[in-house]
Order: sequence, then structure tokens, then C-alpha cells
Amino acid sequence: MINETELIEQLKRGDDTAFRTIVEQWQDMVYNTILGIVQNETEAEDLAQDVFIKVFEKIGTFKGDSKFSTWLYRIATTTALDHLRSRKRKKRSGFLQSLSGSGGEEKEQIPDFHHPGVSLDNKERAAVLFKAIDELPDNQKAAYTLHKLEGLSYRDVSEVLNTSVSAVESLMSRANQNLRKQLEEYYNKHYR
Amino acid sequence: MTQKEKIQQEIEKTLDSLNGMKRAEANPFLFTRIQARMNRKSGGWERAFSFVSKPLVALAMLALVMAMNGWSYFGNSIPAETLVSDTETASLPEFEREYKFITSTDSYDYENANDE
Repeated sequence: MINETELIEQLKRGDDTAFRTIVEQWQDMVYNTILGIVQNETEAEDLAQDVFIKVFEKIGTFKGDSKFSTWLYRIATTTALDHLRSRKRKKRSGFLQSLSGSGGEEKEQIPDFHHPGVSLDNKERAAVLFKAIDELPDNQKAAYTLHKLEGLSYRDVSEVLNTSVSAVESLMSRANQNLRKQLEEYYNKHYR
Repeated sequence: MTQKEKIQQEIEKTLDSLNGMKRAEANPFLFTRIQARMNRKSGGWERAFSFVSKPLVALAMLALVMAMNGWSYFGNSIPAETLVSDTETASLPEFEREYKFITSTDSYDYENANDE
């Protein structure tokens, strides 16, 4: 089996077979990361395609200072967060339109997100948790997703987010506090 | 167990609900779709648009449009000294003779002369 460095060198030369191998090797990792952040399967698939196109176009800028997977996680996370920002902008402009009376007066109901990797007995709880994760600030959401869904260590998360391990610890601690707060509000309303 | 304790228990269970989850699998045809998108991207209009939207090309085109605008404004306003002078007007019949121009006015005059 061809090693990672050789594969990257081949991709830098524009080799299609190397590109196919890279996509097939890392597609689940990229898709799962994006899916955790955007919480929509169709959007996640489109964004995963964007990520690999970026990889093909920007592979020349990969110097090998970090692991290839770190570089890939970074592109996936940035792409997903950029998408969330543009989605928020659209939502805001839709809200303004509804205020000006030009349509969209009904409040958008966001459907529950069911991650395909969650076991059936945890499905409902996980949907509640994903709704709470969606309310987290971007950097907390990215750190939490990388750690919880992809199982990255705090050190790996810090490399992806280009920050220190202590900053990741702080992000995770704040993310957990925020999640607890939101879940408490939810269960105070819904618990019988 | 109080209501508050029960809620705390629910929160803990919910926070743990992602433990042991499996990684979501991407579409098995992801590579084919990427390839199709890349082929679309590298063809026709998108290539033309990406060329035109390059800052250097866009600036060059802007400069060209402005230069053409400037030329049409300043270049077309004929300065007084380039207007046909009286002496030049006087030499026009000579010019017509030389090149054997027959204008409609000439033929009209000619017909009128015959009538007389």
C-alpha cells in the first residue's frame, strides 16, 4: 500500500488515482465532521465535495508541517463553519423580509437532526443534544464536534483549530457548561 | 428522588448519548460526484467567468472602458482649428473635378440649365 507522503506528492503532480485514493480514504472522516457541525445530510455531502475540491486545488500549499489529516480537518471545519455563517445571514435577511411583510412570516421549524451513527436507544436524547450543540458559539461547536464525534484528543483539536491545548480545554469546559444550561432549560419544560 | 435530581440525571444521560456512536458514512459515489463537479467547473462559462473575475483582468477591462469613454468625450469634440476653412471650401470643386464626382446637385443644375 502506498504511503501518505507519496500519495500527497502524486496529488501535487495532479494524479487522478492519488486523488481518488485520498477521497476514498478520508471521505467518512470529512463527512462526519461536517455533518456534526451543519447537522444536515444533504448540505454535508455538498460541503464534503467542496472540501475535496479545495484539497485538489490547494494541495500545493500543504507543506507537511502538520499531519495531512490535521490539514484536512482544518479545511472541513472551516468550510462547515463558513456555511453556518452564510446560513445565519440568509436566515437574518429572511427575518428582515418577514418584518417588512414580503413573505416568510411563518417561523421556520428546524427539524430534529438524527445522526446516523447514534444507536437507536439513544436517538431521541442525541437529537436533543444536537439541538443544544447547534446553539453553541462556533469555536465551542467545532471543538466539541471534533472531540466528541471524531474522537480527537485535545492536542489534536488544538492543532486543527490552530490554538493551544489549554484554549481547547477552556472551550470544552464552556461548551459543557452551555450544554448543561440549555438541557436544564429543556428538561424543566419537557420533563414529566 | 427530587424533580431536580431527576432532571440532573436526564442531563447526564443526554450528555452521554453520543458516547460510542459510529462515524457517519459518506455517499459511496462521492468521488464520482466530485469528478463531475470538477469537470463542470473546468469547462466553458465557469472558466470564462473565473478569468474575467481575476482582479488584474477586471482592472484592465475597467481601464479600457474608461479610456474609451475618455476618447469618445475628448477625442470627438473637434477643435476650432480643425474645422474646414473658407479656402478649403473654395478648393472643393477642384477636388470634385479631379476625382470626377458628380453630385445630385450638379445634375439638377445641369437639367435646370437645359430648361433655360
